[in-house]
Amino acid sequence: MSIELKNVSYLYSPGTAYEMRALENINLTIPEHQFIGMIGHTGSGKSTLIQLFNGLLRPTGGEVCYNGENIWGDGFSRKDLRSQVGLVFQYPEYQLFEVDVLQDVCFGPKNQGLSPKEAEKQAKRALEHVGVPEELFDKSPFELSGGQKKRVAIAGVLAMDPKILILDEPTAGLDPAGRDEILRQIASLHETRGITIVLVSHSMEDIARYVQRIVVMNQGQIAFDDIPKRVFSHYRELEQMGLAAPEITYVMHDLKSRGLDVDVEAITVEEAKRSILRALKAVREEVRT
Amino acid sequence: MIRDITLGQYYPAKSVLHRLDPRTKFVGTLLFVISLFLFHTFPGYGVATVFLVSMIALSKVPVSFMFKGLRAIFVILLITVAFNIFLTPGRVLWQLGFLKLTYEGLMQAGRMAIRLIYLVVGSSIMTLTTTPNQLTDGLEDLMRPLKRIRVPVHEIAMMMSIALRFIPILMEETDKIMKAQIARGADFETGNIFQKAKGLVPLLVPLFISAFRRANDLAMAMEARCYHGGEGRTQMKPLCYRGRDFVAYGVTLVYLAVSVVFRVKGI
Repeated sequence: MSIELKNVSYLYSPGTAYEMRALENINLTIPEHQFIGMIGHTGSGKSTLIQLFNGLLRPTGGEVCYNGENIWGDGFSRKDLRSQVGLVFQYPEYQLFEVDVLQDVCFGPKNQGLSPKEAEKQAKRALEHVGVPEELFDKSPFELSGGQKKRVAIAGVLAMDPKILILDEPTAGLDPAGRDEILRQIASLHETRGITIVLVSHSMEDIARYVQRIVVMNQGQIAFDDIPKRVFSHYRELEQMGLAAPEITYVMHDLKSRGLDVDVEAITVEEAKRSILRALKAVREEVRT
Repeated sequence: MIRDITLGQYYPAKSVLHRLDPRTKFVGTLLFVISLFLFHTFPGYGVATVFLVSMIALSKVPVSFMFKGLRAIFVILLITVAFNIFLTPGRVLWQLGFLKLTYEGLMQAGRMAIRLIYLVVGSSIMTLTTTPNQLTDGLEDLMRPLKRIRVPVHEIAMMMSIALRFIPILMEETDKIMKAQIARGADFETGNIFQKAKGLVPLLVPLFISAFRRANDLAMAMEARCYHGGEGRTQMKPLCYRGRDFVAYGVTLVYLAVSVVFRVKGI
């Protein structure tokens, strides 16, 4: 269940005056059960890239393969592909249309050809997983709050039981509490269901805490593709791309340059705290002896 | 695909016609259309052709763009020509059953075809050299006298420019929602006409909701900036006639005078 991109490039409106290069020579493999963060400045090509994953866009150069099969080859069913590779767009709340929440979430499974009963079962499971309480199931999706709408929309894709779930800025427009909760639920999807997750964001802080691997996009190319620690060690280059490492990376580098022997690779506040305390303890002992 | 759609059909270039005041172009186009109906002989159409060709040359817009508009009226053109050829009584040249091809019919069809084609190409010159915003500004100004009889001229012009402004936004929105629903397994392509119509519901409901939401937001933003209709409102770029506009009016009037003379003399 892996997606593989080989030398992929993408041009908007090729051959016209409006031609624009969005992606250039992308080589990327998304293996099973990984939690990947994708980060990049506005216009870096990340939204275009994720639309290549499930065949919504056709690359103008190179190949996109799913389990080794070219998705644009003859006889490949992209409809099936889309039920295996779920894509949640930015501001997914604008895709809701049904009379009630449950019906809306059933839309995907029904399109997969499930019976109404099975579809409902899938929908309920998905709604439960993203934390939508049962009393909202028969409400109109337009009566819900922004955060709830977003959850319902994510459930709409999750109900199709995808093997890979791609989320484009799922936390945009949410307050910090809502943002943390959605991110936690996404992380738990990865843990409990073993779904591969690609989380697109422009906030390093959001991504750093959960993902196993970070892909940094810059001007249509992959700038870095590594585990978070190593990506953040390039914080100077990240800044030049209009991105930033988590705040804590700056604090740790600053402390280190002022002579405190801390671990600059700490990503979360918790890790940093431990590292600083350890360093301070060492200093104290040095002073004592 | 959505990127390819240009707003209105404005073609950016630097030409005298582009710089003319939109009112001049609007009135000029109107006079050109009138002249087409004043001319009724082929020498007359010759004069119109000379005028039209020189305008196209002046506009610096590729000729192919001019004739794009003709595609839209192709069917109407065909029907008009066919009806005129076969249904005009006169000297019969050729007959098949009840269909009579007459000499008068041919002439009449030719005249109609020329009028229709020139009409579309003539107005294309205006829309290709004028931005939609300029066009609405010009229209507002020209329709000002109608305010006396309580026609809400400013409001109409404002609605037109807002509508034009929102076309590309709604296009983009349609594209986005369509993709989101395709990702959820929606099918917009296969099936018979009823299935297709039913399949549009997941696209149209969110689209309408988003259009209303945008309208609401825009109304709020306009009110927050104290918009209250056209009363006492001034423009950032007020329209103002320059030397070239008077020249243009002069040329057009001379041309119109020629067509009147042709009509009176029966040439």
